[in-house]
Amino acid sequence: MIGDISVFGDALRFIEENPGLLWDKTVEQLELSAAAIGVALLVALPIGIGLGHLRRYSFVAINVANIGRALPTLAVIAVCIVFLPVGFTVVLIALVVLAVPPILTNAYVGVSEVDAETVEAARGMGMTERQILQRVELPLASPLLFAGIRTAVVFVVASATIAAIAGGGGLGDVIVNQASYGIEGVIGASILVSALAFACDGVVALVQRGVTPRPLRGRRVGDTMLVSEPRTKGSTL
Amino acid sequence: MSGIVAQSGPVIPDFGEASSCVQDNRLFCPDWVRDNWGPVLQPALLQHVKLTIIAVAIGFVLAFIAALLARHRPWFERPFDLVSALVYTIPSIALFQLLVPVTGLTVTTVEVALVSYTLLILFRNFLTGFRSVPADVLEAARGMGMGSFQVLRRVELPLALPAIMAGVRVATVSTIALATVAAFVIPEGLGRPIFLALRQFFNTELIVTALLAIGLALVADGLLVLAQRALTPWTRARTRP
Amino acid sequence: MIRKHTRRAARAAFAISFGVAIILGGAASATAASSEPTAAPIIVGTKNFGEAFVLGELYKQALEAKGLDVSYKENIGSTELIQKALTSGKITLYPEYVGIAYTVTFKKKTFPASALATYSTVKRLYAAKGYTVLPMTPFQDVDAVAVLRTTAKKYGLKSVSDLKKVPDLTLAAFPEFRTRETGLVGMKKKYGVTDVKFTPLAGISAYKLLDDGKVLAAGVFSTDPPLATSKYVVLKDPKNIFGFQNVVPIVSNKLVSEYGSKLTSTLNAVSRKLTLKAMLAMNTAVYVDQKPAAQIADAFLKANGLK
Repeated sequence: MIGDISVFGDALRFIEENPGLLWDKTVEQLELSAAAIGVALLVALPIGIGLGHLRRYSFVAINVANIGRALPTLAVIAVCIVFLPVGFTVVLIALVVLAVPPILTNAYVGVSEVDAETVEAARGMGMTERQILQRVELPLASPLLFAGIRTAVVFVVASATIAAIAGGGGLGDVIVNQASYGIEGVIGASILVSALAFACDGVVALVQRGVTPRPLRGRRVGDTMLVSEPRTKGSTL
Repeated sequence: MSGIVAQSGPVIPDFGEASSCVQDNRLFCPDWVRDNWGPVLQPALLQHVKLTIIAVAIGFVLAFIAALLARHRPWFERPFDLVSALVYTIPSIALFQLLVPVTGLTVTTVEVALVSYTLLILFRNFLTGFRSVPADVLEAARGMGMGSFQVLRRVELPLALPAIMAGVRVATVSTIALATVAAFVIPEGLGRPIFLALRQFFNTELIVTALLAIGLALVADGLLVLAQRALTPWTRARTRP
Repeated sequence: MIRKHTRRAARAAFAISFGVAIILGGAASATAASSEPTAAPIIVGTKNFGEAFVLGELYKQALEAKGLDVSYKENIGSTELIQKALTSGKITLYPEYVGIAYTVTFKKKTFPASALATYSTVKRLYAAKGYTVLPMTPFQDVDAVAVLRTTAKKYGLKSVSDLKKVPDLTLAAFPEFRTRETGLVGMKKKYGVTDVKFTPLAGISAYKLLDDGKVLAAGVFSTDPPLATSKYVVLKDPKNIFGFQNVVPIVSNKLVSEYGSKLTSTLNAVSRKLTLKAMLAMNTAVYVDQKPAAQIADAFLKANGLK
């Protein structure tokens, strides 16, 4: 078992000895991930919440999300590269495609599953649609909403690694270059990617805590998407 | 001592010209697809399907066993959960490379990684499925005198089926996506022509292989939805408002 | 509530290290076990573009045809990355452009007067580091300025200095060309070509811009497939501002002492055959006709009795 520790140790030494390189790459990966999540939120939240509130077009919401979920990120990159130059944009699009489905599905299901009677009661009290959304549905849907966002964040941060093959930079540059950085580099960079994904997940969790109204805190719907599917898609490319 | 080697005119063979469509690198060259379907595209597609089926099948069996274990020994679940959360943060491209020294540049390496991913999805779903069986139903079944195995077979599995099928669907689609990355370490699957085409920016190959991978995933997803509906007809009655 | 979180955090931390240890430990043990080196393995590396793949395949297949065992790590990347792979022993042989070795690896600023002098310097500097630089190929893949044949006729352009004659000169090239001695800076200094409107390229081929008449001149590379046609003229560079970029195989000394002339003479035999015409034909097959590099190398070696 001494052998095991030594390569793991090499990896940690690699991290220690290459702080500048790894820091730059980490920042690149974060920038890419943040941009992708940002765009995905802008696209998926309004649609998911809106359709969920209307409780219509579930077919569209669920299926568009399903299709998006099935798209292999590498294949999406391949198609984009035909039309766009290598670099940030191509990978951004592929990561947005990856991030939208969990956010959209959870937003839709979260809002639409809010107890119909509660919503009716609010309507009866004279609340406008917007008020219902803001004061009733969103707070109640927030656990699921955030579960979807956290899922998307972990997917995106880990999958941004594939950016390297399309000129997008990030820690993937080390991971796909074993010939230059050695297995210790691959392990070292992977540890950083994992840590980064965990950290981002944690940040979103903190935001969730901050945003959720106190009475609703502690209500764990769990990390599952309500469509009886597990949280994890597993497509961490 | 000369630094430049003396020239003795080489023979330049005919490397074979490609059609003007390929030469212009247009978006889609049917002639290239026709010529390369047999030697390149179809084998890649079949390899991909094979990789996926093996991974999901093995993952299914292992997840089933693990879920049964977890039911009888509750402490089993937590470490599994945490390891799985961890594994999902490891980029697959890294996981494949890390396994190469262990199992070599073989299909086994890829399968070990793919099975790990499917195992974790399916384990969670088996557990969720088993847990969704209401306690009183179990009581009733046992009260009727059914043994454990019978309870499993006639009560629990059917009721867990929706969750299990949902898991199989997610696992299959994920595996198809992950298997494209597998070509980074071994020359198998649809990822291989994609990686090669990425280097030359060869449009036709990029578009065709990418569409094949996407198509495979969508077809598999669709077929499994149909299977899910066929096997669990009672869930269709559950409509969303 | 705080206690619950601490417990969960502790469990998470434990599980993370547990998980990491399992996953990486298994992989790592075999890595450590299998990392005993066999005597001087031949590991050929290549950079990450079509011409590099062809060169790599040529040398690799030629060595294999002589019965040697060759590992192949293609698609490595920039000069910096492949140098790192070489110095850390992850590859033991790779083809490099002698001028790139001169300016990038050894950070020299001005080129000597001849390819031979460049080669000698690089050979000496690498020898000090423990690497043998084998004889150059006849061809070089060097920066160049090309114009349409019609443009050359119109303005009587034969060499780069003739560009002074062109009014409203426009030139397109990759962005770094503007600031390099082996680019516009050198053109201004040594040829007095000062009045140039520069268009940086970002994805569009320079040749397309020439064809469409958007620019009059373009910064290209001497082995680009379009140059095999008679449509374009490459302007001469008598002052050698673009330097010299013949290809040399860089070989670790361990390989040379292990395999001796079997290795070196095989590689030299291949290098000898790589003329500009040959390289243009092979590049056309790779870039234009989308043939796999392995197949091209195979055909070339067989046609020349090297396989």
